[in-house]
Amino acid sequence: MAKEVFYSGCAAAAYAAKDARVEVISSYPIRPYTGIMMELSKLVANGELEAEFVLGEGEHAQVSIAYGASAAGARAYTGSSGVGVTYAMECYSPAAGGRLPCQMAIADRALDPPGDFGSEHTDVMSARDQGWIMGWAESPQEVYDNTIMYYRIGEDHRILLPQFCCQDGYFVSHIPGKMQMEDQKAVDDFLPPYNHPHTLDPTKPINHGPQIFPDQGSAINVQRAVAFDDVEAVIEEVVTDYNKAFGRNYSPFVDEYMMDDAEICFFLQGGHARTARFAVNHLRKKGIKVGVARLRFMRPFPTQAVAESLSKVKAVGVIETNTSYGGVTRGGNIAPESRAACYNLDNRPIITSFMAGLGGEIVTLNEFYAMARVLSDSVKSGKANDSYWMNFEKEVLDTHS
Amino acid sequence: MSRFIIPKHLEVPLGACLPAPVKEQPGMITGNWRTERPVIDHEACTTCLNCFIFCPDACWHLDEKTEQMVWNADYCKGCMICVNECPANCLSTVNELEFPDGVVRLEKPF
Repeated sequence: MAKEVFYSGCAAAAYAAKDARVEVISSYPIRPYTGIMMELSKLVANGELEAEFVLGEGEHAQVSIAYGASAAGARAYTGSSGVGVTYAMECYSPAAGGRLPCQMAIADRALDPPGDFGSEHTDVMSARDQGWIMGWAESPQEVYDNTIMYYRIGEDHRILLPQFCCQDGYFVSHIPGKMQMEDQKAVDDFLPPYNHPHTLDPTKPINHGPQIFPDQGSAINVQRAVAFDDVEAVIEEVVTDYNKAFGRNYSPFVDEYMMDDAEICFFLQGGHARTARFAVNHLRKKGIKVGVARLRFMRPFPTQAVAESLSKVKAVGVIETNTSYGGVTRGGNIAPESRAACYNLDNRPIITSFMAGLGGEIVTLNEFYAMARVLSDSVKSGKANDSYWMNFEKEVLDTHS
Repeated sequence: MSRFIIPKHLEVPLGACLPAPVKEQPGMITGNWRTERPVIDHEACTTCLNCFIFCPDACWHLDEKTEQMVWNADYCKGCMICVNECPANCLSTVNELEFPDGVVRLEKPF
C-alpha cells in the first residue's frame, strides 16, 4: 500500500533508493547530503534493505566504487555535496563513457571559499558536460519520484547513462514535506531489475576503460552523443508511465505555472520555484502578468520544450543559483543556454540572469518582486542588462525603494 | 533513427569495453622500456613469492614443475621493485648492456 509520510528530501531519497532496491551504496560524509546516507545505513543495519554499504575514503573513491559495482552488475547508489562533488570530478566522464548507469544523489552545497554550507547549484553544475543525466527536484515528493524515474531512464538499454539526481541542500534536503511513498510491488513493476548488456564475468573477461589511440576517441564520444539524442524520448516515455502508474502530474521537462497569459516569467530549477509561485500569486493580485517555468532537466537540456515555454512571454528572468564567472551573461549557466534554445524563434524574449540564491542565501519574496519590476521595465524599454546581481546591483536596488 | 553514420574502421564496442586478453597482450610489449633487469639466484631463492605479489606487471610466476621462479622478459619494465622486496636477497640488478640480447642492443627497441 502506498502511504502518506512527512519526510525531508534526504529521507525521501533514501527511501526511494530502498524502494528501487539498490544493491551497492557507497558513502562518505559531507553535509547536507549526509542525511541520505544516515537513513540508508539505518535501513541496512535494521535489515530493511539488503545492500552492500561501502565506506569510501573520499568522494573520488565513492564514485569509483559505484562505477565498479555498476560494472559488476549491481544497481549502485552514491551521493555528495559541494566540494565533495568537485573532488570526484575525474570519475564522472569514465562512468558516462563506460555507459555505467549508477546514480548519484546531490544535495547542493556552495563551493569554497570560505567554508560555506548553504545551497548553491554551482557544485554539480560544473559537472554538467560529463555525460550524466541531470535535473533538480523541488520537493521531497519529487526527490522520491525522480530517484526511481532516473534509474529507469539511465538503465534503459537505449541510454545507459549515469544520473545526478539533484535537490537543493537544506531548502529541500532538510525541510520535511508531506509526500506519498509507493507500494514496493508497484515500484518493482515500474522499475525492472538492473540488467546491463555486459557485466563483469570471470569466465568472459573484459576490459573497462582501456587505452586507445586519439583517432578512436571521437568514436567513443559519439556513442554518448547518440544516447543523448535518444534520451529526451525515453524521458517522455518514463515520465508518462510514472504519472500513469502513481497518479502524478509531472511534465517531462518544463513545469509551468500561470504561463499561458504571462508577459514575463521566472525561469529556474529546484526548490526556489515554490517561493517564485508564492510571489507570482501576490504579483497577479497586483495585475502583473507573471508566470513561473521550472526546468526539470538540465542535461539533456530540453531545447525544444524550453523554447516553446519561454516563447510565451516577452521577458524571462533566470534565477540562476549557480555561477559562471566571465560567462556569456556574466552571470550563471542557465540564461546562456536558454538564449541559445530561443535563438531560432521569430520573437525572441529578453532573457537575463538574476544572480540570486548564491552561497545558499534565501531568495526572498522582495527579491522576486524586484526582479518582476526589472522585467516589466525591460518589456517597456525593450532592453535589459545581461545579468543582475541581486542585492548588489545599483539598478535593482533603485527599484527596491 | 540516429543522425550518425559510424565508419566501419571507427566502430567501437559499447562503452569501449573490449574482450580482455586472458594472459598477454602482444600489442603492448613493454619489456623494451628497460635499462636494467632483475637476475635471480635460484640457489638462494626460497620461493616466498614476494616478487610475484609485488610485481606491478605480473612478470614473476612460480613454475610448479621445476619449483623455480620464472621471469617474463617481454613485459618487465625494470622497475626493480622485486629486488627491493626480496627477503632472501637472491635478486640482483644488472644493466641491460651486460646481456647479448639486452634492450639497448636491439636495432629497433621501440
